[in-house]
Amino acid sequence: MLNELAQKINAAVAGANATVHNAPDAKSDSSVYVEASKIHAVAAFLKSSGSMNVLQAISGVDYVDYMEVVYIFAKFDFEKPSQLLLKVKLTDRVSPNVDTICDLYPAANFQERECFDMFGVKFNKHPDHRRILCPDDWEGFPLRKDYMAQKVYNGMTVYPEGKMNMADREFIVRQKMIKGAQEAASSDASEGKVQ
Amino acid sequence: MQDGIVLTTVDDFLNWGRKNSLWPMTFGLACCAIEMMATGAAKYDLERFGCGAFMATPRRADMMIVAGTVTLKMATRVKMLYEQMAEPKYVISMGSCANKGGPYWQHGYHVLKGVDEVVPVDVYVPGCPPRPESLIEGVMTLQKKIANERLLRDKWVKHA
Repeated sequence: MLNELAQKINAAVAGANATVHNAPDAKSDSSVYVEASKIHAVAAFLKSSGSMNVLQAISGVDYVDYMEVVYIFAKFDFEKPSQLLLKVKLTDRVSPNVDTICDLYPAANFQERECFDMFGVKFNKHPDHRRILCPDDWEGFPLRKDYMAQKVYNGMTVYPEGKMNMADREFIVRQKMIKGAQEAASSDASEGKVQ
Repeated sequence: MQDGIVLTTVDDFLNWGRKNSLWPMTFGLACCAIEMMATGAAKYDLERFGCGAFMATPRRADMMIVAGTVTLKMATRVKMLYEQMAEPKYVISMGSCANKGGPYWQHGYHVLKGVDEVVPVDVYVPGCPPRPESLIEGVMTLQKKIANERLLRDKWVKHA
C-alpha cells in the first residue's frame, strides 16, 4: 500500500522523491520519506486526492547529525482505514526549517508550534509562530540532544545546588555525554560544584 | 509589663477567630488539586474546620494551598498571587512537587525545585498526592501555629 502511495506522490508532485522505508521487524512501522522542500505540495496532494484526510500528529526527532520531522496522517474510512508515517529529513541542524501545512490541515498549527518549541524547527509561513509550552523568553530547545538547561530563569535557579544531588552519577554522565556540554561540565568541576 | 493579660486575652480571641475561618484561595496546579477538591467536598468536608470557603481571588484569601507541580513558567504567577494576598497570609505546600520538585527533582529542567524558592511556606504536606486526611492534618497544623501567634503583642509591645 505504501509503495502505491509513494508512486502516486511521485507522479503528482515533481521532485518529491518519495521513498518507502520498510519496517525492519514486526514491532516497527514502515514510513515514507519525501523531500523537505516539497512537503507542502505533498500534503496538498494527500488532502486533495483524499488518500489521507486527517493529520494526527507532527513531531520532531533529533538524530544528532540531522533532524527529522515526522507527520502522522490517517485516513478515517469505515471500509479501509489507513495510516501514514511521512518523514522529512532536515540536514541543516543549526537552523532547520520546513514549510508549514497549517493552511491545509488546521490541526498542524499547535503541532508545529510544539515542534518549534521542543526542537527549534522553523515552519516557514506559519501564521502564529510562537512557543507553545515553554515560556516565551525560554532559552534553547529542550528535546535537542545537546540541550543544557539555562542556569537561571527569571531570577529563579533552575538547579539549586543545595537541593540537587549534584554528585549523582547518572546526572553527571548524562551531562558529559551531551555534545557541547563538556566545557560547561569541566568549568563546573573546576569550581568544585561537581565532584 | 511585656506580655500583659489583656493583650494575651485579646490575642487569643483574635487567633481563635482567625484560625477557625481560614479561607483558602481557589488555586490548583496539578493532580494534587484533585485531592484538594476532594478534601473540600462532602466526604472529607474541610468546612468542619472553617476553611471550606475557597475564595476566587487572592485579596480575600488568608491561605494559599500550593497544590501541584510548580513549573518555572507558573512560579512567576504563584509569586504574584502570593504578593496580592492581604496580611496575615499563610502558605501550605501540598505534595512532593510543591515541596521539593517531586519526580522532576533531578532531571526536570522546567520545574521549580520547591515552592519555597519563591514564597515562604508555613506547612509542608508530604505525599504524591497526599490523601485528604493528610491535607486536613496540614491545615490543623497551621491552625495550631496560628493559635500560638501574638499579633498584638508583636505590634504594640516593644522588645516583646
